[in-house]
Amino acid sequence: MEAARLSEPPDWLERIVLVAIPPAAREGVAGDLWETYCSPRQYAAEALRTVPFVIASQVRRNLNLPAILLQAALIFIFLGGTATLILLPALLLRGAYQEVARPCPQRAIREAILMSSGVMALLLLIMAIWFPLAGRPGLDHFTWLNLFLLGLLLSPLLCLFRAGLILQGDRCTPACPHAFQKGELQKEELARGYRDFQHALLVRNLLEASALTAAAIAGVFFAWNGLLVGLFLLAALYLFVDAVPRAFPATEDFVSLRARYQQDLTRQKQLRRFLCWLWFSPVLMALHTRLMAEHVLQAERPITAMLDCVAAVILCFLAAALTSEYGGRIQENIGLLDRVREKISPA
Amino acid sequence: MTDSLGQFEQIVLTAILALDDNAYGVTIHAKVEDLSRPKKAARGAVYATLDRMEDKGLISSWLSEPTKERGGRSRRHYRIEKSGAKALRESARTAQRLIETIAQNLGGLAWKPPG
Repeated sequence: MEAARLSEPPDWLERIVLVAIPPAAREGVAGDLWETYCSPRQYAAEALRTVPFVIASQVRRNLNLPAILLQAALIFIFLGGTATLILLPALLLRGAYQEVARPCPQRAIREAILMSSGVMALLLLIMAIWFPLAGRPGLDHFTWLNLFLLGLLLSPLLCLFRAGLILQGDRCTPACPHAFQKGELQKEELARGYRDFQHALLVRNLLEASALTAAAIAGVFFAWNGLLVGLFLLAALYLFVDAVPRAFPATEDFVSLRARYQQDLTRQKQLRRFLCWLWFSPVLMALHTRLMAEHVLQAERPITAMLDCVAAVILCFLAAALTSEYGGRIQENIGLLDRVREKISPA
Repeated sequence: MTDSLGQFEQIVLTAILALDDNAYGVTIHAKVEDLSRPKKAARGAVYATLDRMEDKGLISSWLSEPTKERGGRSRRHYRIEKSGAKALRESARTAQRLIETIAQNLGGLAWKPPG
């Protein structure tokens, strides 16, 4: 027993290394490090030499330039240049350390509660410090009470939304790309699944492209920012062009077909992340414009300013929850595909 | 027209080709070190190159069954795709031309092509 333990890395060291390796590469890289284990010192040194490359590679693989630029622009508009510079690396690392599955319900609910409590505490602090310091009237007892009630209401609302997303995801998963769960698939079954996916994508892309075009036209009437209208039109155009399913040769074998399918799934995950943030952008921009309006900023209506901030933070939370739920679902399917074996059909 | 391969990519692709069904992180790294000696190759650089080539569609990967000697984890196996084989063949042709040219010009200095 003791001899067996000597050929394994110590638990504590392995746990540190596992946390450092991005989830998408964890299985292969951690297994390789374990296989070549000689001593704790060698294991730690090898991990130190290897993991930075793996992190950099995952940052590159998950780099979604349009989405990152859009998020950076929103952060810049709301919080300024310094915050953008600080948060940009965090966004890149968040992409690299994306989970390979949907967030578990407990974690999702915990995030919602933490989010609402954190936001309320921060905003209360800002309101309590900033307004009196700026020589403006502070908040009376009635407003304080209102804010606490709002805070109490925020947690269950966000939890409800998160639970709804999880239930929706559970409903989608079995109907989703067919019987990957079986562990064995014939090439024909895989090809059929891929075609079904492409068909569903075609319908979705066309619908979303039409909706984006309609939103851009509406944006012209509602005097949206020109750049935003342009982005909506560009995204719609891309979806129209991208809607045509890519043909795959019938001669392609199981492994190549699977790789092609996985690449398409990854591409869709990246595209949907960008589109999700794009849909939320006009509302965020409108909130920012309202917040910057002179009568709100001059603290004549502190409660309005505060509600706008809360709304903006909640919207960002919703967008992040939607992308992590959808991205997680796609990652789960990619993972299942990774483990599927080819079932040779009887001749 | 295929993308031209960098030198390290050529080495990693050749390692996968040579290892056939047994191409995964540990064996690929060992083979790469063997092919590129006396230079050492960082294992992390091999992973990064594998990821990049997979994104280009030159290779594909999948996970094996978990094994005990890896702490219950799976191996990520790699295989060359058609485009990868084509790119490697082009690189080999270029390398062949280089060897011939060097041999012709350095022949007088008693240079012999390797192998």
